[in-house]
Parts: sequence; C-alpha cells; structure tokens
Amino acid sequence: MDMDTNTHEEEDASGVSENHTKERWLKRMWRTHITPLSRSEKVFLFFLSLFFLVVIYVALDANKYRATVLAVEGSGRVGVNPTTELLDFGDLSLGMSSVRKVTIKNGAFFPVFIIVVRVGDIASLINVSENFFTLSRGEESTIDFTTYMPASADVGTTYDGRIYIFRIPRI
Amino acid sequence: MSKTLSILKDFILYVVILATILFGVPRFLSWYLETPYPIAAITSGSMWPELREGDIIFIQGNIEKSELGIGDVIVYRNKDGSTFTIHRIVALGDDTLTTKGDANFDPDSPIEYEQVVGRTFNIFGKPLNIPYLGSITVAASNMRGHKGDL
Repeated sequence: MDMDTNTHEEEDASGVSENHTKERWLKRMWRTHITPLSRSEKVFLFFLSLFFLVVIYVALDANKYRATVLAVEGSGRVGVNPTTELLDFGDLSLGMSSVRKVTIKNGAFFPVFIIVVRVGDIASLINVSENFFTLSRGEESTIDFTTYMPASADVGTTYDGRIYIFRIPRI
Repeated sequence: MSKTLSILKDFILYVVILATILFGVPRFLSWYLETPYPIAAITSGSMWPELREGDIIFIQGNIEKSELGIGDVIVYRNKDGSTFTIHRIVALGDDTLTTKGDANFDPDSPIEYEQVVGRTFNIFGKPLNIPYLGSITVAASNMRGHKGDL
C-alpha cells in the first residue's frame, strides 16, 4: 500500500506517466534511427547493390581449377597425368616443363574481359600464354598454362595451387 | 555552414595524410636506404622461392665493393640502362662480379661493380619483402607485354 502511494507521488512530481515516457522514447527512436533515405542515398545504394551483384556474378561465373605438379629427381623426366578434372602438370624433373591447355568460349551476349589469377605455391611456376584480354561474343580462345620446374625447386615436393579464370562483362 | 566547414576540414586532413604517405614514405626510405630506388616490385620468378612475383622489396643503396659478399642478393642496372635485375652473387672478381637467379641453372654474364645499384634490405638474414603488394606492378607490366627480371 505504501509502495503504490510512492509511485503515484513520483509520477506526479515529474508530470509524466510511464506510458507517455515510453511513447516519447519510441518517437525519438523513430526519428533518429529510421530516417527515410534521400534520393541521392537511394541512387548510391542502387549502384552499390549493382556493383556487389556484378562482383558475385563474376566470382560465381569464374572457371576454377586445382593445379598440381610434383618435382622429381633426375633430368629430362616428364610424367603427365591426363585428367580433365584438374590442371595436373604431372611429375617434372628440374629444368623441365609441361603444358596444359584450357579453351574458353564466350557464350554471353556481350564481350567479356578475361583475367587469369594464379594462387598457391604453384603460382610462380606457371606461365600463362594470354592474360588480360577481351573475348568478343561467341569467340573462343585457348590459354596455355606452362609449368616450369626451376633449379631451386625442392625435389619430392608437390606444389599445389588454384587457377581462376574470371570473365568480367564489358558493356 | 559549420557542418560544411567541418567536412572540408576533415577532407583536407585526409588529403594531407594521404599525400604524406604517398610522397613522404618513399622520400624517407630513399634517405634512410641511401638510394633513389628504395622500393621495387618483383616481376619475374628467377629468384623463386626466396622472392616471388608480386613481392615488394627494399633496396639498401651506397654499398661499397668491400661490403659485397657471395650469397648477397643485389640489384644491378642492365646494360640497356633502363631495366634492373635482382640476383644472388655467386662469384666476386677484381673488376667484375657474377650473379645467378636462384631458379636459374646458369649464372649471368659478369657485370661491373659500377652497375650495382644496391643490396636487398635484410632482416634476420633474409630480404625484407611484402608479398602481393607489387601485384599491380606485375599486372601492369604484363599488360604492357614487358617482362623484366626484377
């Protein structure tokens, strides 16, 4: 009974009821946190979303290959493991090289810009015949990937990596 | 009005910081490493795996003939005068020195001491390098169809 009396006294002192305070707080929250976007912000967000969509499309559309090569002892040795699943350059003795080819065709209605990216331990050993070029609509191109086993390679070590062929729309 | 001034002040501050980084750091490195070429990007794999394509390296200039030793990784100006090579010293002579890329089987033709621009800036006996930071230079070099030894 005493508590009830105290509560009423507090409300009276501040002149604001609990419900009214909550309502004001909600209004303030609406005003400060959920401000409608301006036209320029909407335009910016549209282009930002478009940019991210293009990035996602390019990333998903990229051809991805696992690349591998084994450094072996001896001289003049090349052992090729023919497979279409990955770019396997086989077994190479120091000073030897092997070539794998990848043919890409632009089936899109617009020209695409091709970028070949190599990552991993094998990246420095691979030479790409053609990079940073435009492929017209319906055009086909073959890229040669040549792996050379240098003098400083560690015999018995398998060098792995990945090759990505990105096609960026050129509109 | 005060908000515009504040934004303008911040913008000028950022420009000053950016300019300091872009122009100040190379000038500082040039002074500290005593060379007009303190930073370089590796654009080929002849020093693999010690230095990889796309690495950024730092070059220590003003190296005396007596300071050079076999095993040092040096940068020298090629005979054409416009390109540079970074390879390891394999032999020292009275008037010339011979280098070889770690990944190469054969040594290079001997060069004169005057062609030496500097030696890699080392930390714990290994060249200090920043991987991938020079990839833009490598890409630009590839797009131009030029392939150097550095």
